[in-house]
Amino acid sequence: MAAKENKGSYVISRSSNTRMASFIKRIFVKIHSAVNSWERNHSLCRRKSLHRDVEQEELQHANTNCLSSYYSVFVARLAIMVMLAILIGLLTLLTWHFTKVYTRTSLNALAYGLRYELLQRPVLRMWSVLNSTVEITTAQVKISEYVMRKYDKPENQAQQVELYEVMRDVTWALFASHRALNSITIKYKNGFVQAFHRDPRDNSTYYIYNDLTNYTMAGPYEVNASSSHQGWNDQTIRSNISAIWYREPLDPDTGEKIGKQKAIAPDELINIAGISQVPYGAASWHVAVSKFTNSPLLSAAMPVRDASQESIVAVVGVTTSLYSVGQLMKELVGFHSGHIYLTSQEGWLLATSSTTPLLTNTSTGPKLMMAVDSQDPVIQTGAKWLLKAYGNKPPPSHEVHIEHAKLGNQLYYIDSFFLNLKRLPMVGVLIIPRKYIMGKVDERAFKTLMILISASVCILVIGCVCIFVLTNGVSKEMKLRAELISHLDARRKAEASSNFKSQFLANMSHELRTPMAAVIGLLDILISDECLTDEQHETISQIRRCSTALLRLLNNILDISKVESGKLVLEEADFDMGRELEGLVDMLSVQCKNHNVETIIDLSDDMPKVVQGDSARVVQIFANLISNSIKFTTSGYIILRGWCEDPHSFVENGNFSLTRKALWPGPKNKLIQQKSQEKSSCKKDNRVILWFEVDDTGCGIDPSKWESVFESFEQADPSTTRLHGGTGLGLCIVRTLVNKMGGEIRVVKKNGPGTLMQLYLLLGTSEDIPLENYKLKYADHNLKVVLALNGSMCRINLSKWLSKIGVHTWDACEWNELTHILQELFIPPSRYTQNLTYECSKVESISKQEMEASVFIIVVDIGMLNLSTDIWKEQLNFLDIFYRSAKFAWVLNHDTSNTIKIELHNRGHMLVVNEPLYKTKMIHIIEAAIKERSISLRHGILGGDTHELLEIDNVHSDPESSNDSEKSELNSSSTGIVQVELTRRTLSSSNYGIVNNCFLEPTEVSSGRNKSGPNEPFPVAVNGGSSQEKRMTSNGQKSLEGVRILLAEDTPILQRVATIMLEKMGATVVVVGDGVQAVEALQNPMESGTTTQTKMQDPPQYDLILMDCQMPKMDGYEATKAIRRAEMGTRLHIPIVALTAHAMSSDEAKCLEVGMDAYLTKPIDCKLMVSTILSLTKLQPNSLIISSIK
Amino acid sequence: MAAVSQLQRQFVDYTTSLYNEEYLDDQFTQLQKLQDESNPDFVVEVVSLFFEDSEKLLNNLATALQQTSVDYKQVDSHVHQFKGSSSSIGAKRVTNVCVHFRNFCEEKNLDGCLRCLQQVKHEYILVRTKLEALFRLEQQILQAGGSVPVME
Repeated sequence: MAAKENKGSYVISRSSNTRMASFIKRIFVKIHSAVNSWERNHSLCRRKSLHRDVEQEELQHANTNCLSSYYSVFVARLAIMVMLAILIGLLTLLTWHFTKVYTRTSLNALAYGLRYELLQRPVLRMWSVLNSTVEITTAQVKISEYVMRKYDKPENQAQQVELYEVMRDVTWALFASHRALNSITIKYKNGFVQAFHRDPRDNSTYYIYNDLTNYTMAGPYEVNASSSHQGWNDQTIRSNISAIWYREPLDPDTGEKIGKQKAIAPDELINIAGISQVPYGAASWHVAVSKFTNSPLLSAAMPVRDASQESIVAVVGVTTSLYSVGQLMKELVGFHSGHIYLTSQEGWLLATSSTTPLLTNTSTGPKLMMAVDSQDPVIQTGAKWLLKAYGNKPPPSHEVHIEHAKLGNQLYYIDSFFLNLKRLPMVGVLIIPRKYIMGKVDERAFKTLMILISASVCILVIGCVCIFVLTNGVSKEMKLRAELISHLDARRKAEASSNFKSQFLANMSHELRTPMAAVIGLLDILISDECLTDEQHETISQIRRCSTALLRLLNNILDISKVESGKLVLEEADFDMGRELEGLVDMLSVQCKNHNVETIIDLSDDMPKVVQGDSARVVQIFANLISNSIKFTTSGYIILRGWCEDPHSFVENGNFSLTRKALWPGPKNKLIQQKSQEKSSCKKDNRVILWFEVDDTGCGIDPSKWESVFESFEQADPSTTRLHGGTGLGLCIVRTLVNKMGGEIRVVKKNGPGTLMQLYLLLGTSEDIPLENYKLKYADHNLKVVLALNGSMCRINLSKWLSKIGVHTWDACEWNELTHILQELFIPPSRYTQNLTYECSKVESISKQEMEASVFIIVVDIGMLNLSTDIWKEQLNFLDIFYRSAKFAWVLNHDTSNTIKIELHNRGHMLVVNEPLYKTKMIHIIEAAIKERSISLRHGILGGDTHELLEIDNVHSDPESSNDSEKSELNSSSTGIVQVELTRRTLSSSNYGIVNNCFLEPTEVSSGRNKSGPNEPFPVAVNGGSSQEKRMTSNGQKSLEGVRILLAEDTPILQRVATIMLEKMGATVVVVGDGVQAVEALQNPMESGTTTQTKMQDPPQYDLILMDCQMPKMDGYEATKAIRRAEMGTRLHIPIVALTAHAMSSDEAKCLEVGMDAYLTKPIDCKLMVSTILSLTKLQPNSLIISSIK
Repeated sequence: MAAVSQLQRQFVDYTTSLYNEEYLDDQFTQLQKLQDESNPDFVVEVVSLFFEDSEKLLNNLATALQQTSVDYKQVDSHVHQFKGSSSSIGAKRVTNVCVHFRNFCEEKNLDGCLRCLQQVKHEYILVRTKLEALFRLEQQILQAGGSVPVME
């Protein structure tokens, strides 16, 4: 029943537990640190291992957050369990307690009643015994008085005897009628005693009398009457002792004498009540003992008075055995249990429920026993306990109720009652073993407790298991979540650190690159120094090469970190793809030559001339790819092929097989998708897919590495680092850039050795430029070309193309072949010679019809000539024969010696191009030839010098390629070209910086030549600083004399400072407050600044602009862009110097990107500023001169 | 004359202490060098321009940072401007605090920004008092008929 109740409450407690859980959780989380150690000790093995794991993780990440949440689960779980345990325990205890308490109280009440009843009964019996004794005594006294009054004053012996006879009969009647009586005695005044006595031992009745001395002769019934008037004295009583006592056995029923009288010894005598026992003449009683019975006797005594009520004539004594009380007690105890005893107030034992004797035999006869001396151990200990508890001072009412008295090993109830009788106060004590009353209850309670405890333990265990099972899911989830969090954290950290790394690199490499540029620049100065010894020169060149390599590495790192840190933004600007690529090939072919490798660029005619995109990045892609190819190609060729795939007009190009395109299904779909998107957004922008291939005959890449080569720091073969060096970043950059441009790159299977990289780019074309149809253009010129080139691939490509556009070609791969062709062409048929003479107007005048017939061009590779010996001069002489009949174009190497160049120049071969020869150069050659012919036709006799210059100028200014380094040596010798070169340089300087910036080897291009700066990829301030500074100091303070400067700056302080600084240097300064004003000031010089002090005469009103980057309305970048836009189409280029408080590298790059020429950081360093301004402005006069000449 | 030389020595000491404690840097020297007969009060002029500008900027900054949603871009541009102007007169410590300030701006750390604003205010007031004291000293020297010593 209790268990059931428990179960019910358990269900309730469960529901409340869940509600409490959150609350508990909160509390427990707070104290969980304190609990931690305890919990650790208590956790299971499994949990321990988990802890270990967690601790390890903690060591790794110090991830307290997830750990605490992890602990909190355990704490919560533990808390729930503990709460459950407490609840169940409480319930159990309460249930047990209440059931026990209620039972006990009711039982106690019952027990109290019982005990009271039990004790009351012997007491009542005692009382009744006393009463009956007293009654009998009284009755005896009354009868005696009556009888004695009748025989008052006996005259004779007979009367006296008769009196005694009557008394005897009367007494017997009384005695017989009360069977409980032990004895009745009558002691007369004269000392005669009559007594009846029952001996309980043998159940016999005796009549006892004494024989006084004076009545010895008179017989047994004679009483000395004379002495009846005498006073009671001790002597008479004592004389009794000397008297002879007789005892007669009687029939208990009839009182008939059944035996002979016997004399008995006085000590055999029963107690005879005497006068001493009624000292006050009133009834009295006391407890006596006799040797005839082993129970104490209650004896009452009463005086018998005479008629006058004055004197006592006899004393009646009645003794009643207390045996019956003991008997009753025994009965009670036998029926119930326990022990009862009755004592006098002093502690004398009167009656007990036990069978142990109540009297002790002493030498003087039996005596009463104290309760504490009782032989019954229970009574004895009980009495002792009471004595100990209350001592000699019992409680006032003598009523004691003790429920837990420990006697021996058992618990007892002890109750006592006080019976206050006059002269004989009595105390009744009841000792009941607790077991008797409470035994069953206690047993049951104990059993119940046991059952409850075991039940609750079971429930607790089941509950805990349930909780564990239920929360296990949660904790698992928590664990997973914690792991996830830690993983996320770790990933975030890793990303952050990677980002930091990238950013750091982005910043650092720039910082590194700047001094590197300075180092290289200074080395260039040093190399150009004449007074170096050969050894020094060698060393410096070595340093120069190393620096270049280092710079390349830095550039790579900068690029990759820029891409990684997401800073790379592609610009959208129009650029001539073909020109950029040709320039690149020109540049890289220099490297190729060392390897005896041909570099060929083969762009199909359908490629749009102008595309939109980030030219620098496009060039970088190909620079990386081609230089990579160069690195791994020792012989053979490297071809850069390019063609266009326009989704509108998809023209199948003959050069490329369909299968290759089939490999790439992606781009077209992609493009079409994009198209549709664009259409929906109403963009008119055209996008084209430009396909490129970089084909080389190098060592090739293992097919398994085709993908991984594009990963960063990956190289196809680990040994390449040893052989070729490099960081393995190149291809990674390429792929990133290609992907950024919406394209893809991959390695394609190739027939034969080498690698074939295919990529496409998605670039915009702003407008549809009509493709030049060379076929139509040259059709009417009747062109004939002899290609005498060493490189077979190049030759084949060109001749293919030329024949495609309808130009007749002859190929020659060596000198002998060339001579054969030439001889075949020119010598036998006279028509050709005639044509040739027509062409050269100086010699002969030829009819116009024939002149128009055809144009002969002979393209000769300088390598055709035998340069190792002096035979080449002979060969030139041979060719001179045909000089008049054909136009010669020479293809020079970058290492062609000056003597040959001078020789060629002297012989009038003005049409020279550098290797590699490609389509555009070919077109220029053809156009130059056509032009020359038309000019010569027009001017007839005019001298060649002027137009030759013009021709070459045209040739060179148009391509605007970056192959000037190769030409530089030539230029230095041929004075006529120098000016042109200069012009070109200044013209292209605006975009030059950007282009070169992205080249792999920017300084190599412009090496050894320009100290003045505009070709340098870096701010002039850095590079040109040293030399400029010298100039300034030598010129003194007024180094900026006459320079007009527009200062765009919004901060008044800086305005003021800069103005003063510049004015001190002699410059004229005009200040404007923001970008808008700056642009306006340039456009409308008259309306702008009122502070203008100089007259605006020349078209460029200012020599230089100092532009703050952060300004209200229009910032420096925007203003610069606006200015550059305005300049577009004119030949003007105002140098703009950025002025910024940004010290970040990206800002510098940004400045240069928008078209600024240099940049200065705030605070302005006077010297640096002056040198920068000087370096930018001192160039200007040259360019102005040239432009004016032109 | 003794008074003048004493003042001059005091001026030199004071200026040196300013440089040593990095209140000022070479830029200030440059400013002083720019001052000549044609611009006799150039330094004072520029510095007072700086004061005006700074007061305005600091107010702007304070209001910008009190907004519920702080426009960090704006704050950044203010700080940038402040950095530019302070570096132009060579108030190095102000400039340095500005650099920190900008970092906090980038992190969008409002606490840091507010702390930096306090710092920059503090530094600004410091440098202002220092400069004003310097100018007073200069005035005293000029009134006493001496010439302001040129710092190297």
